[in-house]
Amino acid sequence: MNRLKPVMINPAWPSIRVNRKKSYKIIFECIVADNPDNFEALMKLALNGDQRAYADLLRGTSRFLRPFLAKRLSFTNEVEDLLQEILISLHKARHTFDGNRSYRPWVYAIAKFRLQDYLRAHYSDQLHHAIELSEVEESLSGNVTETGMSYESISGEIQKLPGKQAAILQLMHQEGYTAKEVAEKLGMNESAVKVAAHRAYKVLRSQLEK
Amino acid sequence: MENIDELIDRLARESGGVKPAPHPFKLGLKWMGWATVYLFLSLLFSGLRPDLMMKLHESWFMAEIMALVAVFVATSVSAAVLSFPDLHQMRRMAFSPLIAFALLMLVLIGAWHADSPPAPLPVHSFECTISITLFSLLPTVWTFYAMRKFASTHFCWGGSVAALSAFSVSALWLRLHEVNDSVLHVVEWHYLPMIAFGLAGWGLGKKILKW
Repeated sequence: MNRLKPVMINPAWPSIRVNRKKSYKIIFECIVADNPDNFEALMKLALNGDQRAYADLLRGTSRFLRPFLAKRLSFTNEVEDLLQEILISLHKARHTFDGNRSYRPWVYAIAKFRLQDYLRAHYSDQLHHAIELSEVEESLSGNVTETGMSYESISGEIQKLPGKQAAILQLMHQEGYTAKEVAEKLGMNESAVKVAAHRAYKVLRSQLEK
Repeated sequence: MENIDELIDRLARESGGVKPAPHPFKLGLKWMGWATVYLFLSLLFSGLRPDLMMKLHESWFMAEIMALVAVFVATSVSAAVLSFPDLHQMRRMAFSPLIAFALLMLVLIGAWHADSPPAPLPVHSFECTISITLFSLLPTVWTFYAMRKFASTHFCWGGSVAALSAFSVSALWLRLHEVNDSVLHVVEWHYLPMIAFGLAGWGLGKKILKW
């Protein structure tokens, strides 16, 4: 548990003319410098408007939250996405922490809350997209080893897509580039590439289903 | 999506000095203060029951009022604690309304046993429930509005306790205003609707306090 260490102030020191708030800030900075994992002291500085302390605090927090989330989620991108959400939630709720109680239980309370939210949404989404067995019963007896689609037909449909979408799918699926590399090649940003690819999949799916 | 370091830098840039929320006891005390002012003003307009001084000398009536005050205090403090994501690390305080409600139940059982021969039932019935509900609307809105400024991770529970806090103020008002000695009536039309109000608060909490 990170508790503030008592700070002994030498009475022999020359009296420094600083106001009380400033002197507390100096003392806290000394404590933080002595122990960078003293989250309570960092939070006190952050609440007083110290942006550097706040960034250190969030970095330290993400360090101990990442393994916590990794244990509970299967994919790295899920961990990163949820970690970002949790950091934003901590930022929004930072006024509910005064620095006088333990920091970790406060963080874990918010992290668990967001994790539950995420899992609830994830599973309800899965249920939403689940298909009743009776709906696909008729197609189950069909030949599952043969498909009406060929590489050529998919490739042909890709060619019919708008220029950028076609280029993105060709680079990603025929030439094996990652979204990041495609973004660099086409001078786009990564998320725009992902969005364009997602839209292209949708169009392609509807074309092939016809 | 941006990466973690970019996000941290952005949040740090956006952060300024923030005034920390007051301690839940202070917060609860503030809410109780407002509710008490509301109660006094309402009693001023509606008037006290004419036999109040005499009734205050009756031990069961006095015990009931004290138990209701305990419910009001416990639910207010609990609602304040539940406004914090980590319950301000005072988890037990969040459960304090259970003790107050148990006390109220014991008092009502005692009053019911002591009510012999039973006091006559008043001519009205559901009007009391409607009055209490209408009277508790303003404190409910106020408490939910105040709780929304915080970050409750137990929003259903918080909503329920907040609604019960508002309802207890109203129940207190009606007991001090209405001339009625029937314990059965009080249980049926004053206190049992509390359960429904608590459930409504549960649903409201889910809608209003989620963040």
